[in-house]
Amino acid sequence: MTSTGPRAARPRNTTHSTHRKGSANPMGNTETALKDAMTSIEGTIGVALVDYSSGMALGTLGGGKDLDLSVAAAGNTDVVRAKVRTMELLGLKDEIEDILITLGGQYHLIRLLKSRGHTGLFLYLALDKSRANLAMARHQLRRVEDMLEV
Amino acid sequence: MTLTEDPCDAVLVSPMLVRLVAERATGALLRDTGTLYLVDGQVVHAESPAAPGLEVLLTASGRVRPEGWRRAVDQAGGRGTVGRFLVESGQVARGELELCHLGALHDAAFFALAPGKGPTRFRYGAMHWIGPVRPVTAHALAREASRRRELLDRIWPHPEVDTAPVVPVPDRPGLPVTVRQRALLAAVDGVRTPGAIARLLGRPAFHTMVDVRRLAAVGAVETPLAAAPVETVPDWVARACAEAAQPSDEALLRRLRDALEAMP
Repeated sequence: MTSTGPRAARPRNTTHSTHRKGSANPMGNTETALKDAMTSIEGTIGVALVDYSSGMALGTLGGGKDLDLSVAAAGNTDVVRAKVRTMELLGLKDEIEDILITLGGQYHLIRLLKSRGHTGLFLYLALDKSRANLAMARHQLRRVEDMLEV
Repeated sequence: MTLTEDPCDAVLVSPMLVRLVAERATGALLRDTGTLYLVDGQVVHAESPAAPGLEVLLTASGRVRPEGWRRAVDQAGGRGTVGRFLVESGQVARGELELCHLGALHDAAFFALAPGKGPTRFRYGAMHWIGPVRPVTAHALAREASRRRELLDRIWPHPEVDTAPVVPVPDRPGLPVTVRQRALLAAVDGVRTPGAIARLLGRPAFHTMVDVRRLAAVGAVETPLAAAPVETVPDWVARACAEAAQPSDEALLRRLRDALEAMP
């Protein structure tokens, strides 16, 4: 399932900063990519890059006392595992692109990354429902994945 | 974050590490279970005999060719910039290296920071040849190591399966086994431990332990009997059991009941 989203996607936020990947960047790719998600995706509360097998957050940004991203990271590995297992039981030979969880006031978006190895990573994004544009967010999250270079 | 107030000091292996972090030390912290490399009090690399190294993780998955890795070590090892060389020579993307290195670091640190006795030494000034990739604070590392220990216990509280040869339970169709776990089971030969399988498949040792504990929890893999808890059984129970070596269960139970009733 893919939402194409608006192609000429321009961030509405003027404080948006463009980060470039590259070896000269002292921040590191993960941090840069997460920062980009935080600033360019409207309504983002927090974002985490999670290792699926261990439940470890390889990087987090945002969150806060209302949303402990490390706890969310570990907990959401169970969500992903349950869905992967269900697909195997059903014999569906397809891949999960993303998982959307809709709360009263938030969207939680899980995007499984297609890495070349077998590490199994996913991006986890918590959005404020009143400010977020879901189609845009999914589109932007794909760009963040490219930035990670996994 | 002030060090003295951080509750995570408690999970750091030794007062030595707390002190090294506080003084922003550079060097190698050596334990029997593994080595942590510090630069300015931050952990930049970790190694453990129990965990496959970065080389294994990068080459087994096909991300880096073995000869490419050797070339990087030959040419940049002396300067301590192997990581940078791998990226600049186009063998691995920076993001890939960063995440793979972070995975290897946490994997080795899980064993290096394992609770237990044994000598801990620090060699000031010792650096690792991989060079700067992405440092982690010692507290974050220790926190993650203790979270991992809890996770293993939550899945299946039998640490025996972590180090014993993996033995699948035959003829159990319909068990929830994932693709990743099937690859693990395919590597089983009756001798290989989770650590050996991890090295063979080029996966982190901890991830393999998680899979093996999950497999043991659903009954797809045997859980070896733990060593007999000798100390915890009172003499009279041991005696009653020994006396009842052959008789039926009922006789044994009766003897146990009698012994219990005879307790002061």
